[in-house]
Amino acid sequence: MSALSEGESEILFIDLSRGKAVKQPVKPEDTKLYLGGRGFNSKTLFEMLNGPIDPLSVENIIALGNGAFAGTALPMTSRLHISTISPLSGILGDGNAGGEFSAMMRYAGYDGIVILGRAERPSYVWIEDEEVEIRDASELWGMKSGELVDTLRDEHGDDVSVAGIGPAGEHLVRFATTMVDKYHAGARGSGAVWATKNLKAIAIRGTKGVEPADPETFYKLSREDLEYFKKSEFVRRIYSVIGTHYGMMSWYPGWKYFQSHLGPDDLPEGLRPRDFAEFEVGRTQCYSCPLACKDVYYLPKSGEYGTSSEFESIYALGSNNGITDTEAILRMEHLADEYGMDVITLGDTIAMARFLHEKGLISDKELDGVSLEWGDAEGQIELVKMTAYRRGFGNKLAEGYRNFAKLVGKEVLAYSYDVKGLNRGWYEVDFMNGIFTLAHATSTRGADHLRGRSWAYWENDVNMDPEAVKRMLEAGLPDYRKDPVGALIEAERACTLADSLGRCKGSINMWFQAVPLVWKYPVFKGTAMLLKAFTGMEFTEKDVVEATDRIYLTEMAINVRQGIRKKHYDVKFPPELAKTERFRRQVKRHWEMVDEYLERRGCDVETAYPKREALERLGIGKVADAIDGKDFPEWDGPPLWPLESYPGGE
Amino acid sequence: MFVLGVIYENCTGCHLCELACSYKHGGTFNPLLSRITILTKPEVQTSVQVYCLQCNDAACERVCPVDAIKRDKSGAYVIDYSRCIGCRECAYACPFGAISFDFKARPIKCDLCGGEPECVDVCPHDAIIFGPEEKVSRELKRAKATGVAYGIYGGAESPYRRKKAEEAENFLREIWKRNEGLEL
Ligand code: SF4
Ligand code: SF4
Ligand code: SF4
Repeated sequence: MSALSEGESEILFIDLSRGKAVKQPVKPEDTKLYLGGRGFNSKTLFEMLNGPIDPLSVENIIALGNGAFAGTALPMTSRLHISTISPLSGILGDGNAGGEFSAMMRYAGYDGIVILGRAERPSYVWIEDEEVEIRDASELWGMKSGELVDTLRDEHGDDVSVAGIGPAGEHLVRFATTMVDKYHAGARGSGAVWATKNLKAIAIRGTKGVEPADPETFYKLSREDLEYFKKSEFVRRIYSVIGTHYGMMSWYPGWKYFQSHLGPDDLPEGLRPRDFAEFEVGRTQCYSCPLACKDVYYLPKSGEYGTSSEFESIYALGSNNGITDTEAILRMEHLADEYGMDVITLGDTIAMARFLHEKGLISDKELDGVSLEWGDAEGQIELVKMTAYRRGFGNKLAEGYRNFAKLVGKEVLAYSYDVKGLNRGWYEVDFMNGIFTLAHATSTRGADHLRGRSWAYWENDVNMDPEAVKRMLEAGLPDYRKDPVGALIEAERACTLADSLGRCKGSINMWFQAVPLVWKYPVFKGTAMLLKAFTGMEFTEKDVVEATDRIYLTEMAINVRQGIRKKHYDVKFPPELAKTERFRRQVKRHWEMVDEYLERRGCDVETAYPKREALERLGIGKVADAIDGKDFPEWDGPPLWPLESYPGGE
Repeated sequence: MFVLGVIYENCTGCHLCELACSYKHGGTFNPLLSRITILTKPEVQTSVQVYCLQCNDAACERVCPVDAIKRDKSGAYVIDYSRCIGCRECAYACPFGAISFDFKARPIKCDLCGGEPECVDVCPHDAIIFGPEEKVSRELKRAKATGVAYGIYGGAESPYRRKKAEEAENFLREIWKRNEGLEL
């Protein structure tokens, strides 16, 4: 029995308007074309939506996909991919979360769950293998992530996995997340979409397990990959000890709204890995992961336990706001989990507000007594709460980053360092031969580090195993020092692949994590071997590459319908710098790189639409039918509602 | 004699042992068919491995009405399914809940993989150990002693973990040095 052969696994469509669940078998050819996870989700979104839509309208859908290798012993394959049209950016909004949900989906027999429509009253869905029930959730509405999971486990058993939303989702905070098993957050903004559907949670238990077509080969390859990580000194002495706090030393966290960046020797006390370790009481991870990248911490002041204080939360909520109080940062991170909010957008939006306030672009009058002094930790804990419930000034912050800037005033947009509504700080084009700025521009969900950027220059891989990086380069991995565009495209393939296999891209972003066995069978050969052993179908390295390209171009087409054009592949600098000669030259270089990228991706260089011939070559000419020769209203972020019309909005 | 020991403090709840076990005993990945079960509450850092301890005086062996449970040379109590009548009395008698049922309501239990336990092999955090008695007991003491220093009970500062993190910081700097001038 192979979980991926016909009839063995299904996509579950839950139509909340009609109160019905419909199942469709996963066809082997779909696996071949789109792999699973993110691939299935993007295909579903493209086929079921007829953009442009308001992400908070009932037409939006949420797709949950577990990835081709979910539930197996191949390590780190438990990422649940969540896709929707994002209320934060107005384009494709997807991301993945750990926890046990994706394995449970597989064990229950589903490789996709698609949620449509809107329930009449607050509801949750209970799934146990074939049984799917839509149940009343009026008692659950209002609950935070932790209480929600505990309550549903009391009801259905302590081994069920729960995906759902906290109060931030309910209040339509535009960067509310889908929360899996309390602590694992995914796809910023998706949490608000759950709420528009009156859906609080899905609880799931599966009993069926999963069996590869060729168990022996599959298990052998999986064990090989596992042993690689277990034996690594880098893993044992760094990764499993400080997890992503590694980034505080290596990734130059922004200080006071990216006005400077902290190198390893500039880290103030309070922000070093050792400072966070003092609050640690244990380590944990997602299902089937050997790395223990997540800390479990205890906060003496509030008596709370929390999990996974990652680099992102420390820089966004901490350093970028000038805050160095370790316990306060952990507390905010924990509150963000409890309310179900994305820490990056939350922290960076507050940091932007502080910056604008300092510049006199936000007046004290607008603040209703809130303090926006740099480094005010206690004040920020309050702000986090106000944002989750859209109280006072929090109502504006809840609109999220670029939308918040827009509310403050058009002239302020220049300080929103976003691409397509998402923000990942600003960088010079000359930095790392242009891959940072290009990666932010070409990501199909807006500026982001997890779409290819970090893989294009294998920084972290080099720290773990430089010899393996050499082997990858010898096997034909493009080198960013000579071919930055090629390096980024290959890196985007790696990320698309990982998201579609359900594999973690690495909380310390690495090829070794994203692409199984890449250290031994570069670049995608190991994946092809695993796919063949798992599905019983022929899979070559070329098949793998084409699947990822198919997925990427499909996502570009989704965004075209949401109004994305060539001009939205831009690069942003602080306005004072943008005027200078040095930066004007860099802007020119950026657009040259974008042109080369579009050309090599098979897109029209004038419009950035994927070209028919490229789509047909990949066997998805129907995607071209939906966009060719059509004009869609130009993107300018999602439509924003009047502030008082949001639940709780003041 | 070889014994199998568990160190609760080291277990992070990754479930890899369950997947390895169910594969080894039937070629499928299904935690419900694993002979080892991980009960986990990650938020308070307790993951507990539940499985057969191969007691010296085993309740399961005693209660079996048809003598289907026998100790083999690796020290494991093994069910002889050609005799087993599927009454599940052994599971009810086990003081640790270490015997599960499969989907045919038959009892399944740890058989030490014939002397080469797969779970021990996969566990990334040395939370399951297998070896001669004296070695296991030594390992256990060492782990427990550090466990206390770990501050696993919460609340107290964790000087031990701080030290480990500091070592990690230093090791990273070492790697950077090592990589200086690396030709790629
Ligand atoms: S590395 Fe961290 S985020 Fe990735 S699967 Fe492991 S525990 Fe989860
Ligand atoms: S279930 Fe089988 S092995 Fe267990 S007590 Fe009954 S007969 Fe013996
Ligand atoms: S493999 Fe080890 S760490 Fe993982 S759940 Fe099993 S005993 Fe715990």
